[in-house]
Amino acid sequence: MSELLVLADIAGKRCAFRASDVGSIIEAGVIAPVPRAPKHVVGITALRSQAMTVIDCRVAIAEDPSAHPCDNHLAVVEVEGHSYALQVDKIDDIATAHSEPAPVPGGAGEHWNRVCQAMAETDRGPVLLIDVAQVVAGAEEKPAKVA
Amino acid sequence: MDDLLADFIEETREMLEAIGSEIVAWEANPADRARLDAIFRFVHTVKGNCGFFDFPRLEKLSHAAEDALADVRTGRRQADSRLVTAVLAIIDRISDMITAIEAGRELAEGGDDALINALDAGAETAPMVGQEPVTAQSADATNSGATVPSAAPRSIRLPVELLDRVMSGVSDMVLARNDLAHRLQEAGNQPTVDGPFERLSGILTDVRDAITRMRMQRIETLYTAIPRLVRDLAADLGKQVMVDLEGGEVELDREMIEMMRDPLTHIIRNAIDHGIEPPAERLKAGKREIGMLSIAARQAGNKISIVISDDGRGLDEERIAAKAISTNTITEAQRAKMSHEDILDLIFAAGFSTAEEVSSVSGRGVGMDVVRDNLEKVGGEIQVSSRPGEGTLFYLQIPLTLSIIAGLTLKSGGQRFVVPQSYVEEIVRLRRDNCDIEDMGDTSLVTFREERVRMISLADVLGVKAEVPREKANLLMLRLATGDLFALAVDQVQSSSDIVVKPLPPAIMASGIYCGTTLLDDGQPILLLDVPNIAQENGLMSETRARSAQVPNESELQVERAADRAMLFSKLDGHKRLVRLELVKRIETISASAIDRSGRECRAVVDGEILPVIGIDESASLDTSVRLLRLTDGSSEVLHAVGSVEDAVDLADTLVPVDESDPLIESVTLIEGESIAMIDSHKLFAVHGAVPRQAASKTCRLPDSDWAKSILGPLVEAAGYAPAFDADADIVITLDASEAPSTGKPVIALRSAPDDQVEAGQRNSSIYRYDRERLISALRDASKGEAA
Repeated sequence: MSELLVLADIAGKRCAFRASDVGSIIEAGVIAPVPRAPKHVVGITALRSQAMTVIDCRVAIAEDPSAHPCDNHLAVVEVEGHSYALQVDKIDDIATAHSEPAPVPGGAGEHWNRVCQAMAETDRGPVLLIDVAQVVAGAEEKPAKVA
Repeated sequence: MDDLLADFIEETREMLEAIGSEIVAWEANPADRARLDAIFRFVHTVKGNCGFFDFPRLEKLSHAAEDALADVRTGRRQADSRLVTAVLAIIDRISDMITAIEAGRELAEGGDDALINALDAGAETAPMVGQEPVTAQSADATNSGATVPSAAPRSIRLPVELLDRVMSGVSDMVLARNDLAHRLQEAGNQPTVDGPFERLSGILTDVRDAITRMRMQRIETLYTAIPRLVRDLAADLGKQVMVDLEGGEVELDREMIEMMRDPLTHIIRNAIDHGIEPPAERLKAGKREIGMLSIAARQAGNKISIVISDDGRGLDEERIAAKAISTNTITEAQRAKMSHEDILDLIFAAGFSTAEEVSSVSGRGVGMDVVRDNLEKVGGEIQVSSRPGEGTLFYLQIPLTLSIIAGLTLKSGGQRFVVPQSYVEEIVRLRRDNCDIEDMGDTSLVTFREERVRMISLADVLGVKAEVPREKANLLMLRLATGDLFALAVDQVQSSSDIVVKPLPPAIMASGIYCGTTLLDDGQPILLLDVPNIAQENGLMSETRARSAQVPNESELQVERAADRAMLFSKLDGHKRLVRLELVKRIETISASAIDRSGRECRAVVDGEILPVIGIDESASLDTSVRLLRLTDGSSEVLHAVGSVEDAVDLADTLVPVDESDPLIESVTLIEGESIAMIDSHKLFAVHGAVPRQAASKTCRLPDSDWAKSILGPLVEAAGYAPAFDADADIVITLDASEAPSTGKPVIALRSAPDDQVEAGQRNSSIYRYDRERLISALRDASKGEAA
């Protein structure tokens, strides 16, 4: 198994996106807030004249974003035809998965379980594999949590 | 009508092609239900269309085939090879007739009845023998018909997805261009880049226009058939119906237009058949004997709203409920608990149709459930509201997946938003326009045109803090498709521009405040407000109920009020004038440079149309932008330059005719103690009115040289001509030509030598090529000659 992964820290935890999910990594520009949108929606921004929605992964996993500074890099993903830019603590490196994705022994915790199905081994140690569709949809399932 | 006919022929041809293989398959296996359905649909559609175009022979044939196939579908009859042959013969005949219609000749009489008889289930025995040759003969005719070269296709068909892709690519290009423009501006002046960029930009604008037009059609195309439909139906049913169509200029995706055709027709039929009462009954009920059917379309963000209302007897709640109970849609107990609206909603239930019989107009069992299904399939909605004795109103909403709309940028709570211009009735500045806000409990009301209108603050809707105190806010008076008016208070109103609406992800859509996003020229994303939804969430939409109650009186009211209202404005020289309100199409603001003052009459190009401008004295100096009243009598238009637009006023006092030195003055009246002159509408259009002409609608042939292309071309274009280099043009310009070409068209001869280097005779017969004044006036005179 040699799937490429984009390593990222989310709320201080070592995580990874599948490289095939990530279209590009961009530098955050001006983000226009969206009043009354779910909390994990930071706002909308434009990349090369394409509007995209900025999602704060930390909020989507019900973690406190203020506790973790953010390095201004966004991972661009596409879910159901819409472009999203995912905000994380920092985007780190590219690594190759050494193992097939395997369930986290004992689960990753209530909120984490929703967004990551599995973990994988890399040169940099084990990482949580993030399901971007779940992150993007995150708050929709639990509107009460984020409202 | 010719267009419609061409469409019909093309459509039928296409269907014929498409079912060609179905026919073969059906012949192989007459029991194949799917093939049968396809062929049934074909003859059914042909029948429907023929009725509209008055092709009795075609209609008779298709009707007969439809009947026979309907029998097979319902199992009353078995499909055997004889029936298949008979149906095929009819389809072949239809194909021949279509070819004949297209060629503009009549297909030889006779033979139709034999074909129809061949369908007859009882015709199995003796007559069959006699029929055989006819069928064979008609098959021969088809074969020979097929060898007749059909006219070359004038159009090609493309899959809509391809157009979608091109369209979305072009939209992205526009956004990328805007972004690039912004960056170039930041980088400062770079002549080597700016020139090509300008050119690219211009080309892109043209391409975008063309692509947009490719997919968009004015809803007028849908409207054109309605008056006739209404007339025919009304005549058939012995009723009098007047139809009022509004918003024909709203543009709608081609596919959506097609999708809307059937539901609209269906609703109109129902309205005339069941809604509007016979004249005698109407008079008895105290209504005008002519029923009103009004259809209004409006573009709103990425949705089109269509409101269809009649002033008939309304939906019968009891009858609907009884019918629903009898069809087991609801139970008696449920009925007792249902509200008026819920019961009306039952007309959309599956299988619900109050039409007792199947007639040739109403078709075979298409009910409102199909209408709703079809609308919902494309993401649309339909609602109904009705008051007994007062009328029924259908409110349709259909989405536009991708569109370019005019938007108004505004600011609230430090952030910019955009609203579709189509909603904006007027912008009121509270601190200037002396509008008062009254607080009734938690509800705020403003007085607008002597009407109390509810006001909400955009900042409150968004849950942000307004930066401008409420007394100083700007109000957008927004008119919904339902007719409801409300005021939206915003901090600042910025500019209006064309925006490309892009969809938003579900998470943001769910907030119910936004319906799309777009990028502004500076590359910043901005959200498009979902006005109807905001209105609904805040209880500002009357759910169409209030309006339906007004429906019966509205038409009369409008007539009465419009006749005695006028627009009060100041001319550029400060004199106040009145003009009848119904003449005012809208208020335009254009840059002064768009006004051509060089001729005897001023002209301006507005939205690509050349219109005459009055109200500008030769000596008057103009600001950079000029406000103009766009006046229309229905066909001709004229622009009147104004210093400021004061207000719409009631003409309460008598109009005193005067004999002024100004020929355009009709009379004088008192408005708030001041005597103000009223513009003579008749004379205005008699003297100045002109049917709007597409700018660059005429072509002008230029000499084939680089000078002509790069230097003369733009000038000619600015004068309203499209430069052309081929022989077929409305005006011909020659350069240093020894003799004029004999095209019969006006010729303007140019020469390279300046005036002081040529003889007097030549000076008059030709124009020095840099004598701009003379060239422009020559072009103008030529265009007048053309028009005359």
